[in-house]
Amino acid sequence: MRRQIPFGLVFIFGIFMVFQFFVPHEKSEWVYEFLLDWIIVIGIFALALGIWSLFKVSVEKIKQGKEGGNYSYITLVGLYMMVAFGFTQQTGEGWGLYFLWIMLCSACIVSLMRLRASTDSGKKRMWALASVGFLVAAVLVAIFDDAWAFFLYTPEGLENSMFEIFFDHIMMPILATMFSLLAFYIASAAYRAFRARNVLASLLLLAALLVMSRFNPVIPGAEYVANASNWLMNVPNLAAQRAIVIGIGLGIVGTALKIILGIERGYMGRG
Amino acid sequence: MRRTTYIVVAGVVLLFGLSWVLHAVSMSGEADGIERAFMITMAAFLTLAIYSFLYKDNPFYKFAEHLYVGVSAAYWMCQAFWSTIVGNLFPRLSEGLSNYFQQPYQASGWNITYWIPVILGIMLLMRLTEKYGWMSRWPLAMIVGTTAGLNFVRYLRSDFVVQVSSTFMPLLGEDPHRWQGFGAFISNLDLSATGQLAAIVSNWVIFFGVICGIIYFYFSKEHSGAFGRASRLGIWILMITFGASFGYTVMGRISLLVGRITFLFRDWLEIIS
Amino acid sequence: MKHRFLIVGLLLLFGLSSVWAQTEPPVVDSMVVDSTELFPAAVSDVQVVDKPNDHGHAVIVTWETSADDGGGKNNVLRYEIFYSTSFDGPFDSVGAVPAGTGEFRHIGSKEPLDSAFVPDYTDLFYQIDAVTADPTIRTTSDVLGPVQCSGQWFNTGRIPVLVAVLIFGLLTAFFVLSAKRGKKLYVRPIGGIEAVDDAIGRATEMGRPILYVLGLGSAADVATIASFTILGRVAKRVAEYQTELIVPTYDPIVMSVAQEVVKSSYFDAGRPEDFKEDCVHFVTQSQFAYVAAVNGIMLRELPATCVYMGKFFAESLLLAETGSLAGSIQISGTDEIAQIPFFIVACDYTLIGEELYAASAYLGREPKLLGSLKAQDWAKAAFVALAIVGLLAANFEWFEFTTLFQVID
Repeated sequence: MRRQIPFGLVFIFGIFMVFQFFVPHEKSEWVYEFLLDWIIVIGIFALALGIWSLFKVSVEKIKQGKEGGNYSYITLVGLYMMVAFGFTQQTGEGWGLYFLWIMLCSACIVSLMRLRASTDSGKKRMWALASVGFLVAAVLVAIFDDAWAFFLYTPEGLENSMFEIFFDHIMMPILATMFSLLAFYIASAAYRAFRARNVLASLLLLAALLVMSRFNPVIPGAEYVANASNWLMNVPNLAAQRAIVIGIGLGIVGTALKIILGIERGYMGRG
Repeated sequence: MRRTTYIVVAGVVLLFGLSWVLHAVSMSGEADGIERAFMITMAAFLTLAIYSFLYKDNPFYKFAEHLYVGVSAAYWMCQAFWSTIVGNLFPRLSEGLSNYFQQPYQASGWNITYWIPVILGIMLLMRLTEKYGWMSRWPLAMIVGTTAGLNFVRYLRSDFVVQVSSTFMPLLGEDPHRWQGFGAFISNLDLSATGQLAAIVSNWVIFFGVICGIIYFYFSKEHSGAFGRASRLGIWILMITFGASFGYTVMGRISLLVGRITFLFRDWLEIIS
Repeated sequence: MKHRFLIVGLLLLFGLSSVWAQTEPPVVDSMVVDSTELFPAAVSDVQVVDKPNDHGHAVIVTWETSADDGGGKNNVLRYEIFYSTSFDGPFDSVGAVPAGTGEFRHIGSKEPLDSAFVPDYTDLFYQIDAVTADPTIRTTSDVLGPVQCSGQWFNTGRIPVLVAVLIFGLLTAFFVLSAKRGKKLYVRPIGGIEAVDDAIGRATEMGRPILYVLGLGSAADVATIASFTILGRVAKRVAEYQTELIVPTYDPIVMSVAQEVVKSSYFDAGRPEDFKEDCVHFVTQSQFAYVAAVNGIMLRELPATCVYMGKFFAESLLLAETGSLAGSIQISGTDEIAQIPFFIVACDYTLIGEELYAASAYLGREPKLLGSLKAQDWAKAAFVALAIVGLLAANFEWFEFTTLFQVID
């Protein structure tokens, strides 16, 4: 029963969406929009599951004392700091003891992790004392420092300059750098294709070289290269793309139908 | 080995500390100069830490990686909480909740239905319990069923029915390149990309390219004989396309690298203007 | 005396001419006459109808262009369309179209508070102005209407899709039932599929883990669902061989499902005690942070095999190249066309597009799963047949056939 009801739900929602596609009426559209909103809301709840998993795995790594496990402290402190920034904001001109509070809380988290990872009772006691000490100090700072405040009901935290700075100067540079690594990787991938001596790899490489050369005026017959490259992109490329699109489309359609009809059940686990 | 690592780490920290001090000195006249100097130095450090991965896995990369994972996970969590839950969900759930979070209440007779995804969301969280874990399948069923139904008809329309009509093409060309007899073709033989020859050949290539490509994706029959040859031609055309796509992307990726190098040399080292 | 008459006559003539000169409005009057002549002819044969196959709140206005549009005085620059809910107005402008156009689709908003709201089941009236370069010189048509707009309960423009749905559904049902009755369904060998089992064996021999990446898709993406089935198969073999499995995920719902799938596979393999929930874990929902973490796992854990199945974007090459550096055997499959080239170049085996779905059906090891694969192949055969007939139709201009497949939204 516990297993059958979900498949019944899949069937009902799936069939509804199929019918909805053919019914343009406002009422049908209205239900469709509601369902899409619901999916977004459920996704947010799922994020809590994800954060819990990340936290749990990081804590486990520290506890197991695996090589590199200590880096999980950085993940946990980064996670904490960003959450803290997202729910606090300065109330005046300066920051007061805000950064001290951030550091005390971070130290408290690290101490708690060390406490969890320690096996020696003496060390356990030491880390327990340290975490309580840091926590008390952090609470006192939070109570007596008026330069900043918690904002748990309104989104002032999103305008916290530290929240923005972390986004602009930590997240964005790493994102852009990770993305730019592709320039190196694409070169090494091209080299790999060059080394693979078979007909298919050669065709791939030749087409890639032709298209790469399209803006290069140094190549003899640059105009012909550009024309050939354009033709390649507009004609054989169009044909192959269409064939792939039809294949993928039918694959999706076939799998979706199996899901609606309850033939494909692998995604639901065993129960 | 560990000692060497510590020395290298200390050296790098010193180097970037020095960079911060030098930047702070040069920005001393500006508002928030010290903070900005720190942030530029930090961004440069993280950029180089990620690039160091090209050599091999190392403590700097591990630091940047773990920091990025923690910070980004929390960033999206905060955004989701404030924008979706507080900004969009609470104003529809109840007036009291809206007032509590100081959001304008969006009155509607159907707002009660927004409690359903909240209940489904809570059911999803039941995964964390051993006893009620089965409940998490219900919201999952709702999501999978809805999107499967949606994808079924959408893809059948866009990737099949629409593609069928797109493949109806005149092999003897369309105006102004329509076939007007062999004599006219020979007397106007033009090898340019816009000529009749190119137009007609292109239509043939597209038509047979699509057919051969589809034959390659045919799973119910052994690819041998004429069928196998058509399938072989199909995979060749696919490979040419993949090569073209690969080549097309290269320039874009290199421009990303140029962007980061510009940051390092202009904003951080201030070598170029 | 004679001279007196002549002088008086000349004076009268002079006087009259002066009066005539003062009373005649030579310049101003002539301008009015000229501008009247500049007004373009109004549009004709105007028709207003409810837009079909929609959710309502929309009207199609058609007309015969002005005689001075492309002919006559040739001074019409555009047409402006006005509407009102009353015959007497006031009329509000709802848009304009350039000269030469004879149709306007008034697509209104369905939100009553929106300024562009167009009510359903209400009389609507329209006017069309033929406008010249000088916006003050325009000719307004008669008031047209009333017309009422409303939503429809069936989109007739999507009949070709409905036919395709029915045919595909019936084909799938037929082949699934055939498979259930025990009919053998042949599926040609696919390189990447055969490689999966070998790769798991290799990992066991080397004592190194298997990394399974589900991509950046959500649990609602069909490619991800296909990947779950493959993961189920991989996890079962992993459990049998007692190899380690690592599944870092990008989406929390995908994580939940993947945990369930892997857990089930361990049960099926008869080794539920070996299942560790943390082998499937969430990383972050930031694309490149996820890549950074997975790359780190690859170089630290050195997996013997990396499997990438699902939806991938710019990270595909970053992952596959790092896996290659780690010395792993790599098997990939995606339906993202732009990423397939990178996987082909960097991986040992790549499932191209539909092969991912075929692999999912094949590795599911249930004959009925192959039923839809047969239906897909029949659809492809139908496509080839239709393309050939359509080719003839296009060349011989049998438009009755070619228009059959046009989907109108």
